[in-house]
Amino acid sequence: MRNVLLVAELALREAVRRRLVLALLGLTVIFLGFYLYGVHLLQVRLAERAADIGLDRPLRSATFSYAFATLFGLYLVNFLGGLMAVLSSVGAVSGEVESGTIQSIAYKPVSRSQIVAGKWLGFAVVTVSYVVVLATGLLVGVRLITGFLPPDPVPAVALMALSVLVLLTLTILGGTFFTTLANGIGVFLLYGLGFAGGILSSVGAATDTPLLVRLGSVASYVMPSDSLWKGASYFLQPRTLIDLQRLREDADGGGNPFVGTTPPDPTFLVWTGAYVLVTLALALLIFRRRDL
Amino acid sequence: MTLAIETRQLRKEYRGRAVVESLDLEVGRGEVFGFLGPNGAGKSTTVKMLLGLVRPTSGEVRVLGGSVNEERVRRKLGFLPEQFRFHTWMSGEEFLTFHGRLAGLSARALRDRVPEALNLVGLGGRGRDELRSYSKGMLQRVGLAQAIIHTPELVFLDEPTSALDPLGRVEVRNIIHSLKDSGVTVFLNSHLLSEVEQTCDRVAFVNQGRVLRAGRMEELLGPPRSLDLRVDALKPELLSKLRKLGKVTASGEGRARLALTAGVDPASVAEVVVGSGARLQELTPHRPDLEDLFVELIELGGDR
Repeated sequence: MRNVLLVAELALREAVRRRLVLALLGLTVIFLGFYLYGVHLLQVRLAERAADIGLDRPLRSATFSYAFATLFGLYLVNFLGGLMAVLSSVGAVSGEVESGTIQSIAYKPVSRSQIVAGKWLGFAVVTVSYVVVLATGLLVGVRLITGFLPPDPVPAVALMALSVLVLLTLTILGGTFFTTLANGIGVFLLYGLGFAGGILSSVGAATDTPLLVRLGSVASYVMPSDSLWKGASYFLQPRTLIDLQRLREDADGGGNPFVGTTPPDPTFLVWTGAYVLVTLALALLIFRRRDL
Repeated sequence: MTLAIETRQLRKEYRGRAVVESLDLEVGRGEVFGFLGPNGAGKSTTVKMLLGLVRPTSGEVRVLGGSVNEERVRRKLGFLPEQFRFHTWMSGEEFLTFHGRLAGLSARALRDRVPEALNLVGLGGRGRDELRSYSKGMLQRVGLAQAIIHTPELVFLDEPTSALDPLGRVEVRNIIHSLKDSGVTVFLNSHLLSEVEQTCDRVAFVNQGRVLRAGRMEELLGPPRSLDLRVDALKPELLSKLRKLGKVTASGEGRARLALTAGVDPASVAEVVVGSGARLQELTPHRPDLEDLFVELIELGGDR
């Protein structure tokens, strides 16, 4: 475990020293500032409308507007977290093999598995922290501006963090046998597959096409990131908003393809947990046998 | 001889093509061993197999009496790769501290060893600078410090002087000598044959992953094959006696080169000169150097 922590510490220090963390913090401030300014404008506009009809505060329906603003803000956070997980770790293993830096590390009394596990751990801390900080910043900002807080933000952020871990672990696995470029392209294609699966599933439900729904379901097991987001989005919506969307789904079969109206299936969550563990175990095994 | 390295029919194939065919190698503990061969001879692949970085296709490897996959063996190894690449955002001290910790050194040991290693490779006072500000030669020095910071028992140096100026080469040579003096086995992979000649106890020539010839330096190079001599006067009777010992090429002013006939003892030349009454002013033996032997072996394709 000592060696795993040592390699993880290297990954963390590298992120700090190469100004990755600094760049992320800067971009986070810009993103949050920009988005929250938009929320502020929305709140001002809704307050003005309420004043126009003689009310001293926005209508109750304004809560839906704030909920959607929070929802799509966190959708962006989820997307940025995924992007960050892939881009920051895409060269973590393959890049060091290609450059030869790994040679002076791998001959030391540290196992290959410890090297990969340490790198995974280091980048997991960076990327999960990023998602948590960004999501918390957005939630707190919206709460301060509008007074709105989603009903269950903790499980929602936890599912977003799990989604980021899925992408990170796949990227680390790819790095043990692909080149850096091929690995990056491969993981983004898988990410796209998960997203496409979510859309197909919604289209299938709207058009009553079971095959499309099944395809979407298969895609979500191959790449769980989109389904994890939909699970997270369930916890972010007020009960009345979910009921309204379900009514619409029951009426015409169509729903919003970017948000979910049901809590995540426990079986799916177990599958996703196993997915991360098996992917990581595969990465450790493959790298143990790789010639450096 | 207690062995530090032992390989039996070691073979490595990449996609069916043998890079190392069948390597039998023995390196004694405490030796400075030179591993020589042309580009593509399988030297770096062999070193990587000895370090556990590359898995052999077949054959046996024993390092320091055990398997290179054992942690206790790896703890005693040092390695400077040929094209050493670094995490250049680190300072020299951070870099050595990280590698020392990986090798199992305690924080207390590191406090002493990091400045010692930096001083040893001539980088004292530059430890706080980031590696990105180091010259190529300085990077090679800090790479060498990384290989020896944990006082290993067996050190692999792959082209350790390729980026160094003449002064740096002398320093590395001195480091190798001091490693040998403290009982460390050094496995030296180098194209600089003069370096190898000055540093190594034994060498092996390899090509296509086979040992063409191996032995102690004096065994491989053999006795001198020619002599340069200078006498006060190269008289005809002396020339005639010298011609019985080999082919003489006189160059005037009492100077001549004598290519010795096989089996002639070089010491007998001095006896002949002095016996003829001439004053011997210079007698310089010439033996073939590693470069001659290298070219000969590679041109012959390894046939003895």
